[in-house]
Amino acid sequence: MVQYGGDEVSALVVDVGASSVRAGYAGDDTPKAIVPTSYGYVVEQATGEDVSMGDGEEEGQPSRATAKMYIGQNGPSMWRPNMEIANPMQNGMIHDFAPISPLISYALKDVMRCNPIEHPVLVTEPAWNTPMNRERMAEIMFEEFQVPAFYIANTGVLNAFAAGKGTALVVDIGQSMASVTPVVDGFVLRKGLQYSALPQLVHAHAKHLLTSPTQHRPAIQLLPHQLIASKMPVEPAQPPKFTPREDRIAQTTNSWRVWAESREVDEWVQSVAGVLDQGWNEQAVMQRPPRQYEFPTGFNTYFGPERFSVGELYFNHSMIAVGPSSLLHPSDTSPSLSFASLPQDRNDNLPRPLPSLITASIGSCDADLRHSLMTNMVVTGGGSLFGGLVDRLSNELSRHWQVKLHAPGNPIERRYGGWLGGSILASLGTFHQLWISKEEWQDHGKAIVGQRCK
Amino acid sequence: MSGASAADVRSILSLPPPGTPSTSTQPPLKKAGSGRKPEGISRELYALIGPSVPSLLHSSKPRLKQKPNLGGSRKVKWERRAFKNVARKDSLELQHWVKADDPEEDYAFAKYNVQSDIYTYSQDEYNRLLEDSEWTKEETDYLFDTVREYDLRWFIIHDRYEYPHGPERSLEDLKERYYSVCRKLVRNRPWPGDEASKSQLLNSFQFDKEREVTRKKYLASLASRTPAQIAEEEALFIEVKRLEQTERRFKKDREELLRTLAGVESGLEGLAVDDDGPMGNGELLKKKKKHGSDWEPMSAGPSVISLGTPMPKKGQQSTKSSVPSPEEDILHCIHRTSAPVPNNLPVTKNAHTPVYLRSVKIPVPKPAGLAPKVIAILAELGINHLKLVMPTKENCERLESLLDAASALVDLKRAVDRVEQEISTTRERIDSSKSTSASVAGDTAGTPMDVDQDETGTERDADGEKEDESVRAESVVSMRSAWGRKSSRRSMSISSVDTSTPVATRATKRMKK
Repeated sequence: MVQYGGDEVSALVVDVGASSVRAGYAGDDTPKAIVPTSYGYVVEQATGEDVSMGDGEEEGQPSRATAKMYIGQNGPSMWRPNMEIANPMQNGMIHDFAPISPLISYALKDVMRCNPIEHPVLVTEPAWNTPMNRERMAEIMFEEFQVPAFYIANTGVLNAFAAGKGTALVVDIGQSMASVTPVVDGFVLRKGLQYSALPQLVHAHAKHLLTSPTQHRPAIQLLPHQLIASKMPVEPAQPPKFTPREDRIAQTTNSWRVWAESREVDEWVQSVAGVLDQGWNEQAVMQRPPRQYEFPTGFNTYFGPERFSVGELYFNHSMIAVGPSSLLHPSDTSPSLSFASLPQDRNDNLPRPLPSLITASIGSCDADLRHSLMTNMVVTGGGSLFGGLVDRLSNELSRHWQVKLHAPGNPIERRYGGWLGGSILASLGTFHQLWISKEEWQDHGKAIVGQRCK
Repeated sequence: MSGASAADVRSILSLPPPGTPSTSTQPPLKKAGSGRKPEGISRELYALIGPSVPSLLHSSKPRLKQKPNLGGSRKVKWERRAFKNVARKDSLELQHWVKADDPEEDYAFAKYNVQSDIYTYSQDEYNRLLEDSEWTKEETDYLFDTVREYDLRWFIIHDRYEYPHGPERSLEDLKERYYSVCRKLVRNRPWPGDEASKSQLLNSFQFDKEREVTRKKYLASLASRTPAQIAEEEALFIEVKRLEQTERRFKKDREELLRTLAGVESGLEGLAVDDDGPMGNGELLKKKKKHGSDWEPMSAGPSVISLGTPMPKKGQQSTKSSVPSPEEDILHCIHRTSAPVPNNLPVTKNAHTPVYLRSVKIPVPKPAGLAPKVIAILAELGINHLKLVMPTKENCERLESLLDAASALVDLKRAVDRVEQEISTTRERIDSSKSTSASVAGDTAGTPMDVDQDETGTERDADGEKEDESVRAESVVSMRSAWGRKSSRRSMSISSVDTSTPVATRATKRMKK
């Protein structure tokens, strides 16, 4: 027991990300509860109209007293009349704390069926989290969940721990943010921290590609299957034959539609898109086999060079420079396109690509540290599962430096690296002196969070 | 062959003859059965095989299937127990599972909670010792707090160091301030231990900011090389290696040639055996520069960055230490047997002589051809040249000079002989011509030296030698050493000519003889 330094105190680990909330017992290798962070809510006009829809429901009181919240696998993904979709996260940080406690409560009490009063809880935070935010999280944990002990740890550090390293350069590509965090001896070097909303740009670009017509195919309608009554098989690149559910479309809220469309885009990106391992090259792209993909409308086609242009955005902005006018004026697509909100007036305002993030991060570290950071690079996050991304990154970096990339092969480990690191940390015997106990919270107040969780 | 009778069968089976009542067989059978029937053998089988049971059966009971042994019969009871961590200041009780019979003791992991002891100072000490124009007391306090908080992890200290309204501090600034304060405190506080431990501690607090900054600068410039520069540097490095290799090969060849042809060391500078990787670059270039102007353009490459500021220093030190100074030698009772090799030439493998006992290397008569005669002379003098009672340095030198003198004497005698011979032959010729031209005058006296002369000559010379032995020996030795020094310094062409002459003369002498 002492040999591996573990001592189980049945702590819980909660990792709140942009795409999902992960929760589980410390010492496990996989989170027990994985709940989508996006949630649905319906502002109720009448009383008790909404009958129970199985386990995917949760009453959310705090800010929307009249709203009913739908959380979990059957929350946002199930179509309900007039259901809005919201996400409490913005740029990796918790932006709206109101739905956080229902989300965590759902994960801990309804999925894991455990009582948080009995368990110390470790929560994760991004490296750029504000002190106010982490204090608010501590407050929620102590005051609402009555946990006996609490700790808030940095995802960068936890990802390094998950890879078994104390010193590492963590490249974390999530759903909304890409970050490069230098971690030294389990501490984040804040001056070297770099992050950008790169995945959002990639997502917006992919959406733009799909919804704008090309010479080979018309613009693709990103209707989710919930809004389609029936469809007929069609030949590739032929207009789809389907009947939409007009009854539902009328009652569909804008936010739900945006959410559903972005899910369609994500599906497409995950199954078709990729990145060339040696930079953009027209010939190399043509040599790659096209891939077929069918959308919920029944429309299907082969995607050739397009699918590689998406991934190129992770490394440079050349793909945007090709057609800036069409990107800047997405008039032909639905007005709710999320990338309209992205600043795209100048290239400077675009989220920086990975190589520039890494260079900036390394550049702001001490010269003595650079070698150990470069040889201990950890690539993690669900976004890093993008086809060919790790190979390309390794190729790009090894042109300038001697690098060693560590990217877990297991997709679970890659996606939930932060949680896994928290699971390792909270099960260590030497860690238990770091918990902020309820007593300390009551004695010292919010200041203890900043003092303890460095 | 008729069938065996029933009696034969009975005898073979050692059965009792028929007719004996069956009851009579009972006792032996009983006896056999009286040996206890082992467990696990059926009664019928035991009755058949009797007491001669295979021994294997005794050792293990046959079972249908071995039951797995699950950690013995003892059941371990675990219980969930609340524990307190002594490393914590509050009363938090966490719960973990422990074996029920484990005694309650202090938390096992609390012992890993080690704090590094950071120096603290009082206001008085600060006023007396630690005043610094660039640092206020408050900022120094802040620095020490931060150092304590992050346990001397300097990268993190530098990252988190944010003193309000303070100047921007580099990592080296912080380190210098911290270590200088520590040094001052150690120096000025009463020290309980001995001086050695104090100076050791002081050394551990040593920090040279200038050097660190220079080193970082070097590192940065090393990291900011363009790929073209790196390629150029690598090409240059390979070129240097190649040149060095050819040079080494050339030297080896030449040395071998000289040794086989002339039997001498070339006396050329051999290259150091090997340089340790690319970091030896700077030293290598330096050596090249010193060696000759051929390599001059190489060291001028602007992209060549060596990390070797301390290297020249080291080099100087090593050359300095290798130079023997006479005062030191006297001080340390060191006697150098041969003239020291010129300082700038590293000793080649061949020129190096290992440590030996002087008695092992007692000088022997040198030119092999003359050896028997020299030995004869020595024997005449009653000197055993193979053994010295006291082979001190002086004695060895004297013996050597004696040998030299003896061989010189033999040489001289030979020359005299030859000259005599020539004189006699010429005389004969003259005589014959005279006799042919004029009437034959009486035969002039033959050679003035007859056979005996040989011995007398040596006798006389040996006597003379005895008288001024020391003087002559000195002169011979000095001449020899001077010659040796000269030859070793000479360039190849001259030395080869030089060394070939004595061989040639010797050869002619021998031929004449």
